[in-house]
Amino acid sequence: MNVLEITNLTKKFADFIAVDNMSLSVAEGEIFGFLGANGAGKSTTINMIAGLLRSNDGTISILGKNSAKQSRFAKMNIGMVPQDLAIYEDMTAYENVKFFAGLYGLRGAELNERVEEALEFVGLQDKHKSYPKSFSGGMKRRLNIACAIAHRPKLIIMDEPTVGIDPQSRNYILTSVRKLNEMGCTIIYTSHYMEEVEEICSRIAIIDHGKIIAEGTKEQLKSIITNTKDVWIEVKSIENANLESIKEINGVEAVFIDENLIKINSDTGVNNLNKIIEHFMSSGIEIRSLQEKAPNLETVFLTLTGRNLRDQ
Amino acid sequence: MNILNIAWKGIKTDFRDTRTLFFMLAFPIVLMLVLGTALSNTFTTSLRVDDIDVLYKDTTKGEDFPHFIAAAEKSGLHFKKATSSIDGEKEVKQGAYDGYVEVTAQGLQLYVNNGTSIEGNILHGMLASFVDQYNIASEIIKVAPEKLESAFTREKPADFIKETSLLPDKQPGSMDYYAIVITTMIILYGAMSASSLIVSERVRKTADRLIASPVRKSEIFIGKVLGSLVSNSICIVLVILFSKLVFKANWGDHLGLVFLVLLTEVIFAVSMGIGVSFLTKTSAGPRVFIMLFVQLASFFGGAYFKINNPEGIFKLITDLSPLTWMNTALTKIIYANDFAAALPALSINLASSFIFLLVAVISLQRREGL
Ligand SMILES: Nc1ncnc2c1ncn2[C@@H]1O[C@H](COP(=O)(O)OP(=O)(O)OP(=O)(O)O)[C@@H](O)[C@H]1O
Ligand SMILES: [Mg+2]
Repeated sequence: MNVLEITNLTKKFADFIAVDNMSLSVAEGEIFGFLGANGAGKSTTINMIAGLLRSNDGTISILGKNSAKQSRFAKMNIGMVPQDLAIYEDMTAYENVKFFAGLYGLRGAELNERVEEALEFVGLQDKHKSYPKSFSGGMKRRLNIACAIAHRPKLIIMDEPTVGIDPQSRNYILTSVRKLNEMGCTIIYTSHYMEEVEEICSRIAIIDHGKIIAEGTKEQLKSIITNTKDVWIEVKSIENANLESIKEINGVEAVFIDENLIKINSDTGVNNLNKIIEHFMSSGIEIRSLQEKAPNLETVFLTLTGRNLRDQ
Repeated sequence: MNILNIAWKGIKTDFRDTRTLFFMLAFPIVLMLVLGTALSNTFTTSLRVDDIDVLYKDTTKGEDFPHFIAAAEKSGLHFKKATSSIDGEKEVKQGAYDGYVEVTAQGLQLYVNNGTSIEGNILHGMLASFVDQYNIASEIIKVAPEKLESAFTREKPADFIKETSLLPDKQPGSMDYYAIVITTMIILYGAMSASSLIVSERVRKTADRLIASPVRKSEIFIGKVLGSLVSNSICIVLVILFSKLVFKANWGDHLGLVFLVLLTEVIFAVSMGIGVSFLTKTSAGPRVFIMLFVQLASFFGGAYFKINNPEGIFKLITDLSPLTWMNTALTKIIYANDFAAALPALSINLASSFIFLLVAVISLQRREGL
């Protein structure tokens, strides 16, 4: 059975269509990734699934039941990690988790056990009595997750759970996501970090302007763009590099700069490596290294949306 | 159960918040202390009970009213018979007398200048108990005229005076006055924290989590309101007890009724805060509005200094202050045992609360999320 099934979902804010006739299904045991630039409609979709927003059209089923008609059932089975931190600063970590878990009908010894379990899961077992104001950004994010999992939901929805935190907390969270998945949770994961999604998601939907423009496993998505290759050129300094004229080279589709790394998407059918190297040499730019890369998700995203995921 | 959960969370965090504690507990106590002691002189002179002068006209030939006068005179009330040319009501209006009583065969009528004045209350209370006894006497006349005499002599005439609690230590001193008006004022300030009950959940985004949980919006709403009511009530009880025990403020002999009336004001303040907070999406607007309202209500309701016999437009403004109706009711309950005086305050408070809560509930239903 599908844990989540969305059909023809639409959400409008006044005249603006944030989610446009979206259909999607997520099977049990998946880690399903939502990829999309800012404003693509990821949070809006997620908020409708979690019952925070009403849809204008379409249906959402959770574990086979229409979530509009059986909202209590749907909500009992969903754990929501909101994009923005949603914790009480004036309550301890323990009290936060306990309060929210209590809303799912847990009581007494069972409640306390689950709270302990959730805090331990996110590595905050030593911080029971601490207030979130004393927490680092990463610890707050972890508490934000603990508040969503103590009631052991079947479906956990995470809206950018790793935004703006240190690599250590980030790894911790990614490991937790995998562990939750191994324990039987189905997970919907949203991120701006392509590597994260590529690393943990079994299936990915690329969302743009409220629509799913591509969906599948990493391999399936990459196969969409087999005729594109990535050329990464590391230079000593990009000071004199003229990007526009690189784009004029035959076969070059797009050029991006990442510090001293110049990333060029190019058509595999055109042999233009010589021309590219020549361009750098004639501009007096010293090349440190040159790599030809197989397309990754980022390339897929760029090709499909014409946008860079993180910059916008 | 969820309602209690949410209410309990609110209460717990309220009492952790030093700002709440300061504002709801320390602030009123300090204010009572400062105003109650600094302004004590103005009170003892203006509210001396032996200053009560009463004009009366007795068209009955009975002995009852003269009996009453004789007894009341002993307690320091001065009665003067009005000549037929005198307009008693006018005399009272001009402040020459504290009250004017007309005794006719049909009954007894009292004119006092200001329904809230302590002199008026005392007169009213005394006459009420006199009338009660007079009515008993009338009954006896009809059934068994020969027993009338004994019915009247059995009770000492001075009894009606005792019943009105006209005891020297029951005159409101400045501390007694400020204990009441500061308490009613601080309750009104409860609207401030109530206005952020739902808004703060929205701002902290915890509203999303609450909505995502299988708890109905109505449960969240009721829980939040309930928590706020309990927190505010606890603070008020503490303030009253402190003023009673430490400042020896007079809260009368009917604390239960006093608390009940104050509780309806707490309900009013919390409902107003929540209701107003739903009128706009931002949190700043409602806060400014409530702050302004409470300040004006406090000023015109006599929270800072007593307003004696307001007239014209000024009276209209003072009557609009919730504190005026609250303080009037409490003064009457405490000093004149006038329980019926609770009713206007009680009903206005509850009716307005109902309207404010309705506004909140309707906008809540329309809204996505909280
Ligand atoms: N309450 C709202 N009222 C009006 N417009 C909204 C509202 N919420 C979202 N939008 C608009 O809907 C679009 C989708 O927003 P959404 O938050 O779903 O994007 P997102 O994919 O989650 O982006 P991000 O990566 O920045 O979180 C945006 O253009 C946003 O401006
Ligand atoms: Mg988002």
